Amino acid sequence: MTPSVPVPSHNKAAALTEQQERLRHLPKEAGEAFHRFQAAGDPVALNVVIFAILADFIPRKPARPLAESPGSTRLVDDLGFDSLAITEVVFFTEDLFGISIANEEIIQVRTLDDLRGFIQRKVNARAAR
Amino acid sequence: MSRLPVITGLGFITSIGHDRPTVLRSLRELRHGFEPVEFLGNPNLPVKVAGTVKGFAFPTPNWRDWSWPAQFSVDRELIRGLAPHGVYALCALQQALADAGLEAAALTDGTTGLFCASAGSPFLLGHFLNQMHATRGERGNPMGIVSSIAGTLNFNLAAHYKISGAVCGFVSACASSSHALGYAMDEIRLGRQQRMLVVGAEDMTDESIMPFASLRALSNNPDPATASRPFDRRRDGFVGTGGAVALVVEDAALAKQRGAHLYAELIGWGQAGDGHSVAASHPEGAGLREAMRRTLADARVNATDIGYVNAHATSTPAGDRSEALALHAVFTANGAKPRVSSTKALTGHGLSLAGAMEAAFCALAVEEGFIPGAAHLEELDPVCIGLDLPCTSLDEAPGLVLNNSSGFGGSNVCHIMRRPA
Repeated sequence: MTPSVPVPSHNKAAALTEQQERLRHLPKEAGEAFHRFQAAGDPVALNVVIFAILADFIPRKPARPLAESPGSTRLVDDLGFDSLAITEVVFFTEDLFGISIANEEIIQVRTLDDLRGFIQRKVNARAAR
Repeated sequence: MSRLPVITGLGFITSIGHDRPTVLRSLRELRHGFEPVEFLGNPNLPVKVAGTVKGFAFPTPNWRDWSWPAQFSVDRELIRGLAPHGVYALCALQQALADAGLEAAALTDGTTGLFCASAGSPFLLGHFLNQMHATRGERGNPMGIVSSIAGTLNFNLAAHYKISGAVCGFVSACASSSHALGYAMDEIRLGRQQRMLVVGAEDMTDESIMPFASLRALSNNPDPATASRPFDRRRDGFVGTGGAVALVVEDAALAKQRGAHLYAELIGWGQAGDGHSVAASHPEGAGLREAMRRTLADARVNATDIGYVNAHATSTPAGDRSEALALHAVFTANGAKPRVSSTKALTGHGLSLAGAMEAAFCALAVEEGFIPGAAHLEELDPVCIGLDLPCTSLDEAPGLVLNNSSGFGGSNVCHIMRRPA
């Protein structure tokens, strides 16, 4: 007999905290940047996290790294985001930063600059509370 | 002019192989695909064997944690809407299309349809519903529905391949993909489509297999070499498996015109209900008996013309007995004695996948001129006396081949295929 193997769906990630689980699939530097941002509000660190989230949910691999794209790059027309992928980004971002984003707000976000500015404002508003 | 459906492409992601040569060798040499497994992390469970799908891993519901053999490619855009069996199905369909010599661009003009069968993904559906309850409805995965409900295969594959012909899913449990193939034959015969893609698939997870333990339908035999033994007196239930099989079915005239390789002609199919029980098969196999008769009539052949029957037999005490009685009624009583075997002895029972998987095995048998043996059969159930169950695979052309499938509620479906003229 070969050794017993676990059936695939046995969930080994269950022991992680919710926050660790959210960050688990992002690059290590994005996780570190997130903690830096949470501790000191570093806007450069926030940028790193946002690009990592976008890279994780983008439907098709972009031709060049997102961080090298100009701020005017459009999420839908240039990067190929669809409404489903944007919804995923919104839910993930809400959970990670503890913010709330309304549908009518996200519709206004069209470019990379829009998204960065929007999340920054939301997070600042959260900090002010 | 009558139109004849022919099989021109096959793709396999199964417990006995992920490509045609490996599957063929497993069938010829009776190599099974079973491994010891521990369901639900619980060593106390009596069910200890499964037909594992090697090289694929789905350790969590998050697709970022999934992996598959390097020879297959799964687009990022597609995988977010897939269940584990959707990944299997994509890999099987990629193979089948390449085998048929078809580019994806050839599928989009409305002359190609897609019929699929799976039970959906209880693994993902359970996860998404738990998440919904945990967040009291405030969070959900936007792809939760399309990746997990029955129909997920046709939703995803039709969109990905831009299929604008007939698109449908079939849900008759273990007869599902046999229904898909039968109705695909009709689409060709009626001239509605020139080509049909038929895909059967199932997850291979705790959630897809263990619920059958509640029905007392699974084998408790811990030995992978004997746990699945259809028609053996000591059989005690089926062994679960997952995977995917894809078939390309085309109008023979058009397939020949484009120079396609023909595996087998599909010359008839039929179905009949048991009208008996929600879960148990009719004790004398009444529905299966009638389905076989209707299929013979549809193909305009006699019982004595059939050379090989790929039985549905899953290795459950009651189900195999019903099928043996149905086979006696259709064949033995009419002086016919085709070879009979159930390849579930090697693969395990693939549920919605089973019919398409076994149709593809039959196509290989027809093409290669061999008959898969009745693996693991050592002590013949007395009810089978008079049936010809060869214990090894035979190097003989099977002639006409009958493929049987039966599902919950007493749905019985059969197909007949033969070597192309």
